[in-house]
Amino acid sequence: MSINRRDFLIRTGLGFGRAAAAAGFIPGVGFIGSALASELADPLAPKAPHFPGKVKSVIWLHQNGAPSTLDLYDYKPELAKLAGKEVPASFLKGIKTSTQGGVGKLYVSNQRSWNQYGESGAWFSNLLPNLAQHADKLAFIKSSVTVGATHDISILKLNTGDVNPGRPSLGAWINYALGSANRDLPSYVVLYNGDREPQAGSVNWSSGFLPAVYQGTPFRPGDSPILYLERPELRSAAQQRGSLDLLKTLNNLGAAHRPEDTELRARLQSYELADRMQSAAPEAVDLSGESEATKKLYGIDDKTSESYGQVLLRARRLVERGVRFVQVVSGHPENISDQERRSWDAHNDLDGNHGVQARMVDKPIAGLLADLKARGLLDTTLVVWASEFGRTSWGESGSGRDHNPWGYTQWIAGGGVNAGTTYGATDDIGLQVADKDKAVDTYDLHATVLNLLGLDHLKTTFLNNGRSERPTVVYGKVIKELLA
Amino acid sequence: MKKIAYLAVLSCFTTFVAVAADDNKGAAADTVVTKSAKRWSPYEAVQKPQVPVVGQKGWVRTPVDAFILSQLEAKGLKPSPETDRATFIRRATLDAWGLLPTPEEVKAFVNDKSPDAYEKVVDRLLASHHFGERQARRWLDLARYADSTGFQNDNTRANNWRYRDYVINAFNQDKPFDRFIKEQVAGDELWPDSQEAKVATGYLAGYPDNQNSRDLVQRKYQITTDITDNIGETFLASTAGCARCHNHKSDKFSQKEYFQLQAFLANTSFDSRIPLAKGSESAWDKKFVEQRNKYQEVTKEIREAQRKVLEPYREDGIKYQKERYLTDSRDSIFKTEKDWNALDRWVNHRHKMVVAETGDGVAQYLRLAAESKERPDHTPDKVAAWKEYDRLQKELRKYDDQRPTGGSLYYTAATELGHSDAAPTFVRFGGIHERPTEEVQPAIPALFGGDKVEIKPTATSSGRRTALAGWIASPNNPLTARVYANRVWSQYFDKGIIATPADFGRAGEKPTHPELLDYLASTFVERGWSVKKLHREILLSSVYRQSSAERSDVVKADPQNKLLAVYPRKRLEAEEIRDALLYASGQLNDVVGGPSVFPPVAKASTLGAADFDGNRAWTVSKDKNDWNRRSVYIFSRRSFSYPLLQNFDPANPSQAHHKRDVTTTPLQALTLFNSDIVINWSQALAGRVINEAGKDESAQISRLYQILFSREPNKEEKAALKDFLAKGEAAVQQKVADGKFEVAVPIGIKDQRAINPVRAAAFVDLVHTVANSNDFAYRF
Repeated sequence: MSINRRDFLIRTGLGFGRAAAAAGFIPGVGFIGSALASELADPLAPKAPHFPGKVKSVIWLHQNGAPSTLDLYDYKPELAKLAGKEVPASFLKGIKTSTQGGVGKLYVSNQRSWNQYGESGAWFSNLLPNLAQHADKLAFIKSSVTVGATHDISILKLNTGDVNPGRPSLGAWINYALGSANRDLPSYVVLYNGDREPQAGSVNWSSGFLPAVYQGTPFRPGDSPILYLERPELRSAAQQRGSLDLLKTLNNLGAAHRPEDTELRARLQSYELADRMQSAAPEAVDLSGESEATKKLYGIDDKTSESYGQVLLRARRLVERGVRFVQVVSGHPENISDQERRSWDAHNDLDGNHGVQARMVDKPIAGLLADLKARGLLDTTLVVWASEFGRTSWGESGSGRDHNPWGYTQWIAGGGVNAGTTYGATDDIGLQVADKDKAVDTYDLHATVLNLLGLDHLKTTFLNNGRSERPTVVYGKVIKELLA
Repeated sequence: MKKIAYLAVLSCFTTFVAVAADDNKGAAADTVVTKSAKRWSPYEAVQKPQVPVVGQKGWVRTPVDAFILSQLEAKGLKPSPETDRATFIRRATLDAWGLLPTPEEVKAFVNDKSPDAYEKVVDRLLASHHFGERQARRWLDLARYADSTGFQNDNTRANNWRYRDYVINAFNQDKPFDRFIKEQVAGDELWPDSQEAKVATGYLAGYPDNQNSRDLVQRKYQITTDITDNIGETFLASTAGCARCHNHKSDKFSQKEYFQLQAFLANTSFDSRIPLAKGSESAWDKKFVEQRNKYQEVTKEIREAQRKVLEPYREDGIKYQKERYLTDSRDSIFKTEKDWNALDRWVNHRHKMVVAETGDGVAQYLRLAAESKERPDHTPDKVAAWKEYDRLQKELRKYDDQRPTGGSLYYTAATELGHSDAAPTFVRFGGIHERPTEEVQPAIPALFGGDKVEIKPTATSSGRRTALAGWIASPNNPLTARVYANRVWSQYFDKGIIATPADFGRAGEKPTHPELLDYLASTFVERGWSVKKLHREILLSSVYRQSSAERSDVVKADPQNKLLAVYPRKRLEAEEIRDALLYASGQLNDVVGGPSVFPPVAKASTLGAADFDGNRAWTVSKDKNDWNRRSVYIFSRRSFSYPLLQNFDPANPSQAHHKRDVTTTPLQALTLFNSDIVINWSQALAGRVINEAGKDESAQISRLYQILFSREPNKEEKAALKDFLAKGEAAVQQKVADGKFEVAVPIGIKDQRAINPVRAAAFVDLVHTVANSNDFAYRF
């Protein structure tokens, strides 16, 4: 019954001649399930989508720590009225909460004010004055739901679709399904601001059971973004060239005896690619050629938004150069030592926390959208505002909010997006999704993102240990209302 | 939740259907399914097959060869000629040890005229501790071994290395494989007095864990799921886990049967703090205790003062910590012990373990109450107490470098907490924890024979895992021996006889040589489940001795080389690349076992600020000897892959890892080409070569090739290398003329006066380049 990919290609005439037929000598690339023939010798060769995609690249803005979208986008006049009161029991139906003896009292900050923006009349709080100017570029999902009560498992789910580690991240799936559009750069890049890699680590940009070649490459701050990118100081450029030439000679001598062996030749080629990456990657992240006006646009002139602005400007430069998936994990402005302000995780003093975090992202994201638009890139790029969950309508420690996986806001913007609309809603206090049929789980968001790239999430498959796996596990639906 | 039921139907097999349709019209030029294979099933008892009669009788060294040859002859193919002895010993040493043979070992073998020259080499390989280290690595892949829990906090599992050492020792002692299974699955039940058997249950305890989880009841389900799925894949090559959310799409395996399998583990808890038996402490543990006593002594007053500061808030703090758990976990945690049922017992034990490993939360509570002015329990005394505690904490930090490292007082094992009654197991609709349906009892799925297993509870445990382990390790189990023999075969021939080592089911590949698989499985059991004998037979076969030279007739007739008319060449695995180069450089610290080590990751200056150096996640080992241990001893932190290995497709410790991929990427090239570690080894290797070969450059180049490739360079290679030395010397000279005097020169040269440093730096470049070549990264 079963047949592997290579048989399939050969039998359907998709194989590319004898070189592919000799792939019997190529271990480790069997069972690739979705793309075209060239992957056999070259797993990152560009592959056609299932149908013409609207966008070529994705910038995935993970708001780490989970912002209170109740304080950013989801305006609830009813909540303001009930503030200070116990949560009416009717709103708590069907959810499991922590804290014995009931949840806290409903909470609204006295520093919050709300306005409508753009033709769409979307609501924004006073925390996001710059982003609000782009209201009509966004499609809001106000009925986001997820699983989990702690950051780590919900972040894993946000990126990989599962609450346990082991599955490929969305970026890895896209990298696998579409291949690379620029071989001089990694096609799946992870960016972050702050002084260390995001704590939950590489499982969130892992290739899971896909071959490791599809995993995300974290770009470090500074001018040498990739580990081992730089030629060691001990070695001059002339020495390096000499070594590469020798390597080529030696490898060619060996390969001459094995004319059908595409893997050995691919390895030879990988050194030439690495050589090009050595100059392409630092160039891609070098902001020195950007105008002062552009830097200002991204908020790089402000201490609080500087590092995030730099990261988003890098993201634009990467997308410009054909990088498929840029996963941006929000961190914190430089010199923030207070643990409570290093992510959106505002269990107390929400005003203080969100004051910093919102100011950190507001101008940079607004700038990114404006810049992409001005360069004609917004039509081919998808920007996603995503978080592992939202925050509760009730207060915690008086002035904070707890985790809320039952109803929160995310948004998408860019090519093919039904901009200026809102899909779904939360209940009157912004706690749970109002209409359960309109709930958008991680899988649905992933399916929709894949659709915009021209990929059918049901057909994007990989045979892993006998299971035909897909990015959306056994769930997922494309939210048609979000598409133009 | 409606959508889940609907979509689950679409789940597993969209491709399967498309592919099957294609199969029907296929011109199956390359299928090798023989008549008997059509009837062959992995679920039927293993029958020792007749050894086929072949034409080229002289080629048959072991029955293994007859099975291979008979299919080759049917296809009109001849096996490849024997590879030369030097290539053979490099191949066998890499496969059995993951290291290179020394030039002396190569020479001895090449010149050995005795009739049992091959046997002597193979027996020497199997007798070495390097064999266990290499085999253990592949078993640890399956056991999703790591030294940390995973998830966000990714806490260290301070004594998990004992399980790793158990596995290494098991392979080195040739522990019978059935015993190896029983110890890992039920060592605590079967041999409660044996520390070794209990350490073996570290296999079960290796699940990725979120110690921060607030939902302990769900955590139990997730842990049980992880273990059940791992047992299914590792021992039975079954994707049983598929049936957790829905009936299996391709195999006859119902959701109910899946949960019946889970039920064997329903009473399994884990204790990560069992004190080591007196007298069983290793040298590392003794050192640990010594360091610990010292640390406790010098910090005694500070810690005592901290305890006093916290004392008044202990009760409130612990209450706060307990209240942070979700509804049903709290029900168990706040219940009095006499009312505990089996589930309450599990939850409370888990809670106790988390507190023991990560703290009771009182200090966190104090900080929260002191810092959140809005909290009703915010009081001035708490503000003052926190200030004092924090001051003491800073004081304590000053002694951080005196903290003990490495060893531990404890070991980890499965336990049933002294009770024989297990919490009920339910089928879960759609695999969703919150939707239990029918209660089930432990049972073996019908697909696997549905054997009735007898469960005999003991005074202190349910006996369930004993029953499961006995069934898995039974000589009559149709899968166990086949599955393991297939894994061993795949180590030597790149692919298994069944190319999907984790799936013998209908969605997996068909066996290329079903009778060979049965021969290997039945002799494996016959020979007392001896793993070494299984390896030995394969290593001594003619099929393993074949040349890997490309053959155009084979490319045409059997493009995937399923019939093995040619030996399949293979890229070295991540650990082999590192270990072989380290070994060649003469710097390998060949110590077996012990706490995991932390070699340096890139220097802070090149790693930017985002650096694990100085962070608790990666505290570089103080003892530099630890930096040069074999890769199997490098600390495996789930959230941080050791950079030098990371790009070479190592095992992902999240799940059972069955097959090492081979991908070829520029990031690999950057790693080998630019890493300061590889350059350092090249310097050491250059020094070794000069010491061993003397001043003559031709001799040096020969020696280098002998060390890395077990052969002499050919004429063209020699010419290219000499040309490089001349040009390289000029390049180095230029660099020095530019005012940069720092060059990489060979390390460890005995006679420093004998070398010209500029020419020697060019030689280091040469060594480094040769180590980057395909001839090093592959075994042929």
